[in-house]
Amino acid sequence: MNSGKWIVALLAGIAFPLVASSEALTDVDTIVERANLAAYYSGEDGRSEARMMIEDSQGRRQLRQFTVLRRNEDAGGDQDYMVFFSRPSDVRGTVFLVAKHMDRDDDRWLYLPGLDLVRRISASDKRTSFVGSHFYYEDVSGRNPALDRHELVETTDAHYVLESTPRDPAAVEFVRYVTRVDRETFLPMKTEYYDGQDRVYRVMEVVQVEDVQGYPTATRSLISMPLEGGNTLMEFRSIEYDVGLPDDIFSERYLRQPPTRWLQRDGG
Amino acid sequence: MRWIAAVLFWSGLLLYGGSGLAFAQDADAATEDDPFADFEEADWDDPWAEEQQGLDWSGFIEGAAGARWNSVSNLDRLTLGELRVRAETRHVAEHYSIDFKGELLWDQVVTDLDASLRELAVSFTPARFVDLKIGRQVLTWGTGDLLFLNDLFPKDFISFFAGRDEDYLKSAADTARVSFYTEVVNIDLAWTPDFAPDDYLYGERFVFWNPARGEVGAPAVPRRAPAPGDDELAVRLFRTVGPTEYAIYGYDGRWKQPLGSDADGRPTFPRLRSWGASIRTPWLQGLFNAETAFYDSLDDPRGDDPRVPNSELRLLLGYEQELVRNLTAGIQLYAERISDHDRLVENAPLPARARDEWRSVATLRLTHRAWRDALTSSVFIFASPSDEDFYLRPSLSWRRDDHWSLSGGVNLFGGREAHTFFGQLEDNSNGWFRLRYNY
Repeated sequence: MNSGKWIVALLAGIAFPLVASSEALTDVDTIVERANLAAYYSGEDGRSEARMMIEDSQGRRQLRQFTVLRRNEDAGGDQDYMVFFSRPSDVRGTVFLVAKHMDRDDDRWLYLPGLDLVRRISASDKRTSFVGSHFYYEDVSGRNPALDRHELVETTDAHYVLESTPRDPAAVEFVRYVTRVDRETFLPMKTEYYDGQDRVYRVMEVVQVEDVQGYPTATRSLISMPLEGGNTLMEFRSIEYDVGLPDDIFSERYLRQPPTRWLQRDGG
Repeated sequence: MRWIAAVLFWSGLLLYGGSGLAFAQDADAATEDDPFADFEEADWDDPWAEEQQGLDWSGFIEGAAGARWNSVSNLDRLTLGELRVRAETRHVAEHYSIDFKGELLWDQVVTDLDASLRELAVSFTPARFVDLKIGRQVLTWGTGDLLFLNDLFPKDFISFFAGRDEDYLKSAADTARVSFYTEVVNIDLAWTPDFAPDDYLYGERFVFWNPARGEVGAPAVPRRAPAPGDDELAVRLFRTVGPTEYAIYGYDGRWKQPLGSDADGRPTFPRLRSWGASIRTPWLQGLFNAETAFYDSLDDPRGDDPRVPNSELRLLLGYEQELVRNLTAGIQLYAERISDHDRLVENAPLPARARDEWRSVATLRLTHRAWRDALTSSVFIFASPSDEDFYLRPSLSWRRDDHWSLSGGVNLFGGREAHTFFGQLEDNSNGWFRLRYNY
């Protein structure tokens, strides 16, 4: 990193919160970093209930309901996620655990209560459907920004428009994606994924933002598939940050034995 | 003909389910603006809600049918014909929780109505680093995929070969599990006071090799060995370091199938002690696992008693990777080596049919998921170069919506000789399908 970038990073990290959004950022790495923090790192940890409405191309609907626990090891760095399913009945008791790493592939496990089986999911298997929805496993914990090259293509009154291309095109199904990052909150409000024929085949939109303990939080997000049809709406509620989750929650122990106390609202 | 009636009945039910969904869609049209409108606010309430809402029941109703293609003497063509009702719930209190899974099963093959308990166990945490789960439960450990080395918890091979849900390969047992979690290592102890054997082939549904008669068949009286009535203990020490999972295992109990025989030729469960270890770690683009176990056959320490199996070493290497998007492949290489093989041959009543010193099995699993996991096609192949036999398990599973699912498949066995592990099952080759409604 050259000294110019250092100064920008310093301004972004220290000066920015004081000067608010009066001045547009120009350094793409800073925008990407802040967007990553805004979307995935609010608070030291967090707990939320969530549900997804999955609609296929024929309009048939399915529901998933779950509780998510998250803990940051450090902001912008490694994280742990745990997803406990409560509906529908055939996935009740299933638990998904992710240890997200910056320097290597994420570790993922799935606990299947019917067999008492802790199944490990291979790292390559991450851009596939998350429990039947249009979200991918990777969308749950966030894609490592270092896997893509980012370019600031436009700054509008409300958004930074970023274009990202994969460093390893063979590992992903998209050729590029374009993200509109809110200049105020740094939440990525809309992401469009392009296929090899330069068509938008997948869109992620934030449709509702709420302030939770001072953190602007996307409480409703929609993934839609313009070419094949179908969409999934994800909704969060009862979100709490900084609940004081112990780090040992994110382990095989609590895959088999759900940490009831930490799953309850106002628990802990 | 009974199974044809079952096919028609369940196909009818599926169509009925289809019309039910059409009504649901009409209701959706009226509330287009809010996609969650169908699901009342009460739907948010879940087991973690602060106020207990009473027990929340769920489960399924499942009909299944399957038949062999070859007719065999003493047995019906029907290998699977049943109606199953499952009910499950979980009660969470401040200091403990109770899990319940119960089933009512009408089984047309053995013409019997059976109520069974799949799980009834209480879990609690007596100290910060200790978890206890006591009662009827299903337990699983080890790294193999449908190959078990250190997992000596009871298995139900009848269900597995008949095309029941893969969950039923693992039977429930009345066990006390104590888990200790420390900084250095985690320890699982599973004590089963009353030895829980596998569900092996009794001869009610499937034929098997009868060494005394030198032929494959089903005995007129089902083969059931008397339970020895003593206890068994399984231990696992495990730890994850970075991305790598390590485990050491121990077991003290009995061979899980009646591989021995007493002086009168009646089947028995000889004593068994085993030790083993496993590792699982990411490698290349996928996951690598290795596992080993030594089965110490305590009733035949010298390996010269033909009525008791010899000790053996078991080895497994496995690798799994996504080949292309939504298509995953897993391969395993597995071997068993008999100890004191020369003495086994010397003492065998029919040395020509004695097991080889090495038995090897290679497996391949291909799984393809389409329509966002709604349609899963899978094939699992066991092939043994040493025994020259195989077992092929293709299946197709369609999850229509949150309630209905339909699956079907084939169990195909074959081999050059009639007495090998899979070869003896050749006349059990069958096709099956299942229709399930989740509630």
